[in-house]
Amino acid sequence: MTAERKTKQCRTLRTAAAGLALTASLTLALPGCVLPDGIFSDDILPGAAVSRGMASVSAAESDEKVTLRIANWEEYIDEGDWDEEEAIDLDDREGTVIFGENSMIDDFEAWYLDTYGVEVNVEYSTFGTNEDLYNQLTLGNDFDLVCPSEYMFMKLIAENRLQPLSDDFFDEENENNYYVRGVSDYIRNIFDTNTINGEPWSRYAAGYMWGTTGIVYNPEVISKEEASHWAILADPKYKGQVTIKDNVRDSYFAALGILNEEELMEPGFISSPDRLERIAELMNRTDEDTVKAAESVLKDMKENAYSFESDSGKADMVTGKVLANYQWSGDAVYTLDQAEIDDYYLAYAVPEECTNIWFDGWVMLKDGIAGDAAKQQAAEAFINFMSRPDNVVRNMYYIGYTSVIAGGDSDIIYAYADWCYGAEDDVEDTIEYPVGFFFSGDNADEAYIITAEADQADRQLFAQYPPQDVLERAVVMQYFDQENNERINQMWVNVRCFDLTSLGWQDWAKIGAVVIVVIAAVVIFKKRDDIMQLRRS
Amino acid sequence: MKRFRFSRKQLCIPYALFLICFVVLPLAVIVYYAFTDGSGRFTLENLLSFFTNGNTIGTLCYSAVIAVVVTAVCLLIAYPVAYILARSSLKRAPVLLMLFILPMWINFTLRITALKEILTVLEGNLSLHPFLNTVIGMTYDYLPFMILPLYTTLLQLDESLLEAAKDLGADPGAVFFRVTLPLSMPGIVSGITMTFLPAMTNYVILDMMYNSTYIMGSLIGSYFNIYDWHNGSMISLILFAVICIVSLLTGGEDQDDAKNRGAIL
Repeated sequence: MTAERKTKQCRTLRTAAAGLALTASLTLALPGCVLPDGIFSDDILPGAAVSRGMASVSAAESDEKVTLRIANWEEYIDEGDWDEEEAIDLDDREGTVIFGENSMIDDFEAWYLDTYGVEVNVEYSTFGTNEDLYNQLTLGNDFDLVCPSEYMFMKLIAENRLQPLSDDFFDEENENNYYVRGVSDYIRNIFDTNTINGEPWSRYAAGYMWGTTGIVYNPEVISKEEASHWAILADPKYKGQVTIKDNVRDSYFAALGILNEEELMEPGFISSPDRLERIAELMNRTDEDTVKAAESVLKDMKENAYSFESDSGKADMVTGKVLANYQWSGDAVYTLDQAEIDDYYLAYAVPEECTNIWFDGWVMLKDGIAGDAAKQQAAEAFINFMSRPDNVVRNMYYIGYTSVIAGGDSDIIYAYADWCYGAEDDVEDTIEYPVGFFFSGDNADEAYIITAEADQADRQLFAQYPPQDVLERAVVMQYFDQENNERINQMWVNVRCFDLTSLGWQDWAKIGAVVIVVIAAVVIFKKRDDIMQLRRS
Repeated sequence: MKRFRFSRKQLCIPYALFLICFVVLPLAVIVYYAFTDGSGRFTLENLLSFFTNGNTIGTLCYSAVIAVVVTAVCLLIAYPVAYILARSSLKRAPVLLMLFILPMWINFTLRITALKEILTVLEGNLSLHPFLNTVIGMTYDYLPFMILPLYTTLLQLDESLLEAAKDLGADPGAVFFRVTLPLSMPGIVSGITMTFLPAMTNYVILDMMYNSTYIMGSLIGSYFNIYDWHNGSMISLILFAVICIVSLLTGGEDQDDAKNRGAIL
């Protein structure tokens, strides 16, 4: 009830504001209700006061309209238009209700105008693969802000095509800097310690979504133990019942996982203090011998698998065509959710050897921003807006992936995880599932333990917030430089192309026989008159 | 002062512009990329690597085999259908033809998805017969393209020629092989060109049918995916050349046939 009243009041004020032209004094005079549509709470914006202060400066400086060109993955942002019953009633401190009324883009434009007093026009477009985006950039399509996966932004950093994030972006004092105030320490650490040419990722990139790679499987046929090793992807026992990712990086990683299984599973290796570094070293090898060995593993996998897939795997898993499916954790959650609708219960496992931790992150392009400070401010504000806890929840709800944002001072995101996975009171078989490593940096933190249904330890919760032991074997797959990239791509083409040398003499004999028959038929047809005459005489 | 006069020539301008922008220029870009290396220098290396690389040759053979089989199966199915529809006195022939053409009006990914489900029921596991499934999928998709030109040609066949052959003592077999078949050659040729060439490159059907082996289309795509536009363009160009040669050869035969028609009679 209060929520309804609140929006109404909010809208009236907004209309009034628009009518009177947005002056700094008016913005300052507005009561604490400068909320975008779709979020109703008593006090969601602790930063409102500061933002109004900022607005007075920005509005005076610039009355020009800023155009922001953004490219993101397809279906990778909340498009609003939720049904009424979809409203998420969170059990956080403020009793927030999350509701996506308008698209995130519209909300951002309105928020930016309210907060900074500058009109921004977002030109939003999407891409299907990282390579697709890279080709668009090469062809001269200018974007200001894009959201590629980690290896692609590593490549863009290496090619010196990215605009560094400004110092203001990292100012934790600014209430509007939702990203830097809210990003999980675990993720922040990865972005600070991974470097390209001596520069940390975090200088250029702000995370958006993250996850692991693993295996979605049907637990009625495949045991958790079997699904927890890369070897299942090449196991003859499941011939024609496993799908593999149709992209060279993921498949190469899996092949290395199989090749290095023995070493990775050695007790001494597992207990070594520098296990993570050693995994990273093993799984990022690109020397000729390793690539050659991976090629033969992948050829076996190709023979054994149901298919290489880029999108069909999810549907094939849900319809039961395959029993296991190499998948990114985000899509795993989607697959499990979809199957559940038909009362079909699947599970997700992360191989015991190691897993590839992946990120999609926002980066600004030098060519796009072109030194325009107003544009850069808008781009960084967009990242921050996407990192505002209520918006994070909207995106996570819509996409099904896990945001890099833990929430900082706000407990909304943890409340959402609890809303998704917390067991009902009447459920008896529950587990205590700690997610503190992500939310507070301390896995034993009592405040971040979800009481979930027991099977969630192998299902969506496990996929969205992997437990600490998974992260102890989760490594970043580095970007390959030109030479290594060529070698690995060549290996991939070798795997996928038809190999003439694989034909035995029987095959050649069959082909020869068919050719001879066809030629004979044609000759007989052409010479039929002569043959007839011969028969007559 | 000259008065501007609107002549027929000016009507060509939009078409000429269209052809330049969407046919000539793209082709020029492909030729440029095919004969240059990463730094924009002229090179023949891409051409050489096409013929020295086992992958490209293997893929070319594999695609050609798929295309030949698909075309042959299409022809074998389509010819009797088109013949019956066009030559017999079936009252409902147009309705039947419509039924064969109808699937063309439904988006092909949808059709292939439906076919996939049917085949899964029949075969159990699709991954065990990737080649067979690809051929079935493509045949299903391209059959109307084979039936239509054959039907049109056979419909226009001059009845009096067939009667003349019969009157001169040819048995039904001879009438078919020596009159009907040669006269329907143009339909066969255009049916083949409409089936063979797409069958060599349409990797969407291949992917949807869970065939993990590349054909020419997927190979070109894979090169563009790894930003190697030069080799990708060269493969496209060679495929283009192959297509030109095939068309020239079949086109030549077509003209011979026209001349030969008198001789046949």
